[in-house]
Amino acid sequence: MKLDRRSFLSFVIGGAAGTAVTPLPWKLMDDVSIWSQMWPWTPVPPDGAYTYARSTCTLCPGGCGIAVRKVDQRVVKIEGLAGHPVNDGGICPLGLGGPQMLYSPTRVTGPLKRVGPRGEGKWAKISWNEALAEVADKLTQLRDDGHPEQLAIFSGAGQGTFSALLERFMTVYGSPNLVRPATFEDAYGMAVYRMHGQQAVVGFDLENANFVISFGSGVIEGWGSPVRMIRAKSLWKDRKVPLVQVEPRLSNTAAKADRWLPIRPGTEAALALGLAHVILAEGLYDRNFVEYYSNGFEAWRKMVLDGFAPDKVAEITGVSRDYIIVLARDFAKAGAGVAICGRGRGTTPGSLEEAMAVHALNALVGAINRKGGVWALPGNEGIRWPEVEIDETAANGLQRPRLDGAGSGDLVDAGSLPNRFFSAQAEGKADPVKALLVFEANPLFTQPGTETVKKALDRLDLLVSFSSLMDETAAYADLILPNHLYLERYDDVVAGTGLAAKVIGLTQPVVAPRCNTRHAGDVVLALAGAVGGPVADAFAWESFQACLEETLADDWDALSEAGYVVRKIQPAYWFEAFSTASGKFEFAGGYRPVPIEGDKGAFPLVLIPYDGMRIAAGPVANTPFMTKTVGDDVLKRQDVLVEVNPKTAGALGLGEGQAARLSTPRGQARVRIHLSEGIMPGLVAMPRGLGHTAYDDYLAGKGVNVNTLIGPVEDPASGLDAAWGIQAKLAKA
Amino acid sequence: MSTKDDPGHAVSDDAADKKGGATILLFFILGVAASLVIGWGVFPRLLYSTKPQPFNFNHALHNEEVGDCESCHFFREDGTFSGVPTLAQCTDCHEDVMGESEDETIFVEQYVWKEREVPWHVYSRQPDCVFFSHAAHVIKAKMACETCHGDIGTSTRLKPYQENRITGYSRDIWGYSIAGFKTHTYDRMKMDDCAECHEQAVGSVDQAPLTGVVGRHFRQEVVPAIYPPDRQAAAGSSVQTQRDACFVCHK
Amino acid sequence: MEMNAKQHKYGMVIDLDKCTGCGACMVACMSENNVPFKKDESNKRDSITWMRVYKISNGKPYPDADVCYLPRPCMHCEGHDGHSPCVSVCPATATDYSRETGVVSQIYTRCFGCRYCMAACPYHARYFNWWDPVWPDGMEKTLSPNVSPRMRGVVEKCSFCFHRYQLAREKAIYEGRDEVAEDEYQTACAQACPAGAIVFGDLNNPDHQVTRIVEPDPHHHFTGHSKKAFRLLEQLGTNPKVYYTTERQWVRKILGQYNFGSQAAAHGA
Repeated sequence: MKLDRRSFLSFVIGGAAGTAVTPLPWKLMDDVSIWSQMWPWTPVPPDGAYTYARSTCTLCPGGCGIAVRKVDQRVVKIEGLAGHPVNDGGICPLGLGGPQMLYSPTRVTGPLKRVGPRGEGKWAKISWNEALAEVADKLTQLRDDGHPEQLAIFSGAGQGTFSALLERFMTVYGSPNLVRPATFEDAYGMAVYRMHGQQAVVGFDLENANFVISFGSGVIEGWGSPVRMIRAKSLWKDRKVPLVQVEPRLSNTAAKADRWLPIRPGTEAALALGLAHVILAEGLYDRNFVEYYSNGFEAWRKMVLDGFAPDKVAEITGVSRDYIIVLARDFAKAGAGVAICGRGRGTTPGSLEEAMAVHALNALVGAINRKGGVWALPGNEGIRWPEVEIDETAANGLQRPRLDGAGSGDLVDAGSLPNRFFSAQAEGKADPVKALLVFEANPLFTQPGTETVKKALDRLDLLVSFSSLMDETAAYADLILPNHLYLERYDDVVAGTGLAAKVIGLTQPVVAPRCNTRHAGDVVLALAGAVGGPVADAFAWESFQACLEETLADDWDALSEAGYVVRKIQPAYWFEAFSTASGKFEFAGGYRPVPIEGDKGAFPLVLIPYDGMRIAAGPVANTPFMTKTVGDDVLKRQDVLVEVNPKTAGALGLGEGQAARLSTPRGQARVRIHLSEGIMPGLVAMPRGLGHTAYDDYLAGKGVNVNTLIGPVEDPASGLDAAWGIQAKLAKA
Repeated sequence: MSTKDDPGHAVSDDAADKKGGATILLFFILGVAASLVIGWGVFPRLLYSTKPQPFNFNHALHNEEVGDCESCHFFREDGTFSGVPTLAQCTDCHEDVMGESEDETIFVEQYVWKEREVPWHVYSRQPDCVFFSHAAHVIKAKMACETCHGDIGTSTRLKPYQENRITGYSRDIWGYSIAGFKTHTYDRMKMDDCAECHEQAVGSVDQAPLTGVVGRHFRQEVVPAIYPPDRQAAAGSSVQTQRDACFVCHK
Repeated sequence: MEMNAKQHKYGMVIDLDKCTGCGACMVACMSENNVPFKKDESNKRDSITWMRVYKISNGKPYPDADVCYLPRPCMHCEGHDGHSPCVSVCPATATDYSRETGVVSQIYTRCFGCRYCMAACPYHARYFNWWDPVWPDGMEKTLSPNVSPRMRGVVEKCSFCFHRYQLAREKAIYEGRDEVAEDEYQTACAQACPAGAIVFGDLNNPDHQVTRIVEPDPHHHFTGHSKKAFRLLEQLGTNPKVYYTTERQWVRKILGQYNFGSQAAAHGA
């Protein structure tokens, strides 16, 4: 028998024929096709039990209730809590991003100590004991040297128990330098203080208003409590409540408003006084309020009638004279009209006189403490903790003036002046602060005038960040003692900037902490204990949770179950609402607009920042999903597109999408042009929130941080930052 | 070499031819035989790898002790099915070693005390594209567990987990019989096996037109008459196949 | 019209005057449905967004400019008796129309990525996975087990959060009833919308809010009876199930007669 080619072939053919009647080829085909549909790198999310846990979102001051959907112990989705008084099931793009923050690769996974120069990004992992010891050493040293006021805290932590804990710490430690970011609420609050004679928290009963004038407020772009405002806008649409939006740019709010009133930026206060002029001249004001409950009306009235006739105001603002008259009449006759202010999200305080002009306008139509109007609400009752006993070191420290000058001299009404804090720290005459602790804030990114903030931080011996994610301030810090993310911790949230109600929400841990983090409250307690003496004695609680439970004792059960409690409030009646010398509402204020920086000759255009819901501009930055929603008319690859009117762009020879160089007295940057008919000629608009340098490739390096181009301009009347823009110029790149 | 015919040579040519033909046939038969052996014998053995479970679980014993199946395999309040029990359910009783078996010792020492979930190999694991509702089959259609899972409840040992090396799924899904013959309903659980049952329950709608006048008649008169009420909407809900639409079983 | 009592037709109506363009619907959808994300999503041609909010403008110069935001999920077109454009062309039977719910399904394991359906869809509602989705280390924990993550080479699109219907039916069966209530099955986008602009429900059920607003007229190809609610590209006969309402005439005009390259510029997302 010979094995030749034919035999071999016949063997093969026999094999093939036989194979065809075995399952082998058919099964293999079937199996391979299945195999090709299920590559091992395509994740198969593990299944499990589905549960919902309630909490309160802390990513912005809005205070929305959230329902967190979990599969076993994994957070997979965040939804708005149905029935919650602030958001009733609605939620914003940032709130939805919680899961992406919880599992973000930019989480600071444990205490870190800087190795190498600041900002280089080299870290050594250290233990909590080491980290606490280092901070405690510095804190003790400052007190031993007799200068506890050289410790400063910068905190964006809102009005809950944790904030109160920080205040208590600073008091017993002996430093007055507790600095908070300032917003339009500070300016409006100071206006209320001047005119009502009391410190108040301002609320707006917008759900019951029947005519709303917004002086540049981003009603649907994050002003106040964002979801609450968007819901209010829908309510106004259903009830046909007119919204008039006064701003130089066609924001989403302006597009949604019943009337967009383009105005020369910075002249909004003149318009408010112009409307007051018409209301005064035609006698449309609330006579009862003015005659029986106000003081200084005559002088103020004269000032308005003399200087703010519709013609004059039309000249100043660019708004038509006829429309000023029509608007004033409609506003006054509505019966429940209210005016709001605070540009965009309201994160820049704005000028005090502008707030006073708007508040006076509200007063004129009787909107103070009225249904649908502006309410001056008593501040926090003050948590009832045992009195602190301070020692001599602390007493001495507290007597020294704050670095930002708030609370003394001309600035006696101011609570916190962050712009002054950083400029004084950077190059002021007073001794700089030596140690700075940063909680729930990212000033190196969010404060206007980034260069000054950097200089300020450079003069510190010790910069400590408590951030959960590696943001710009944390990246520049000497030590990072990472806080639990909000989904991993207890906190109370006094909800809702601008709400005409008091809602307290409980932030509860929905998952166990993922990383080696600690509640910042526990860290503060530990530091107090380490400093010892009366500082330690002031904090009897063994943990922040114990402190919180004790503080919220009466409400704890309701909070744990429902997630929130609502305290109905009734604003004071006019006869008891004012604590001025006269006991009445004081009409006051004038028009001295705070000029923006820059020489018009060298910088002929004006750069204004704008806010939106898709780019977070505060201490919490965009999640990858949020950045994905940003349109290609705002962000193209790594370039931000600035809005320019075609006339302006055309005069400069710049076309759509073209690269350009944007310069201001503070800095310059490469941008691209987006031609927009929705912006006044001569202006350039740039979104806030881009230009991150920290975090990861999903966000860093995209666009420009507008705070590197715009700096604060101090309002001489309040000390607050009143800059609404800066002179700028555009040139081909 | 001569070109002249040689009678002797001719005879040997025939013989050589016959021999050549036989050889070819022989190799052909050898080829067939070899491939049959490989295809029917070797291939199934090679295709499946046997993976041992972390330790043995005695269903019969636990059924006796606990009394029912629902204590470990239950419906949650939202209607989803708990499936294979988690560690938390076992530790209700097994905080410490209760019996004397080695398996339980392994369980308690390696898993309970170390708070590790047991990495069971799940026989009925379906691909991620599948949506299977236990509620629809067990509660609504009142099917017995054994129909799809086989008789596990009375077993004392967990059956061997045989995994298809190519697809990564259990032999329970891919068919015990390599030829695809089913002796029990639970011998294979691929899409066609689900479809088989769904078709029988609903009745074949292949022959019936579903559009136009006749279609309307079918839907308005015939469907209510012969289909069970809760299947009427799904009967031929798919436009493509005239059977169940894709999202009934997929996600 | 033949109305089988249990035959649902899930649809949506979106109030363009309430939509604020915030993008919460987009993020809610992506979070709910395991939609992937890349480092650079500024090229909107390959950015996968099942729900996409478009921005249209009236084309007028300053100060008369106006913009409108248009959320666009998959339209779940019914065509004539279930013949959606995409379902009609799929060579792999990867997409299907269900008469029971009115939802157009997309089964990723059958799809082999020919993209014929993308060509057929006039609403650009379908997206292709040009690359394998990559989740940064740790973020794969956010994936929901109720929706299959995709691999490269398959098409995906809005499913009206059908997995929520599946789970709602399971709950209903467990509780001994057959019907899913209006508030038990809501899409992620409708649930998240802070303005309440998206209303989702069963267009076959006269009690559902969406039906009350739209009043679909079965005698006129299911157009909105009151003419208040309109659909996009009505003239193509796709019979979509997403309706829109707006009181702004310029928006109605642009959307009713949508012309490419017209004065009105449309920007993606």
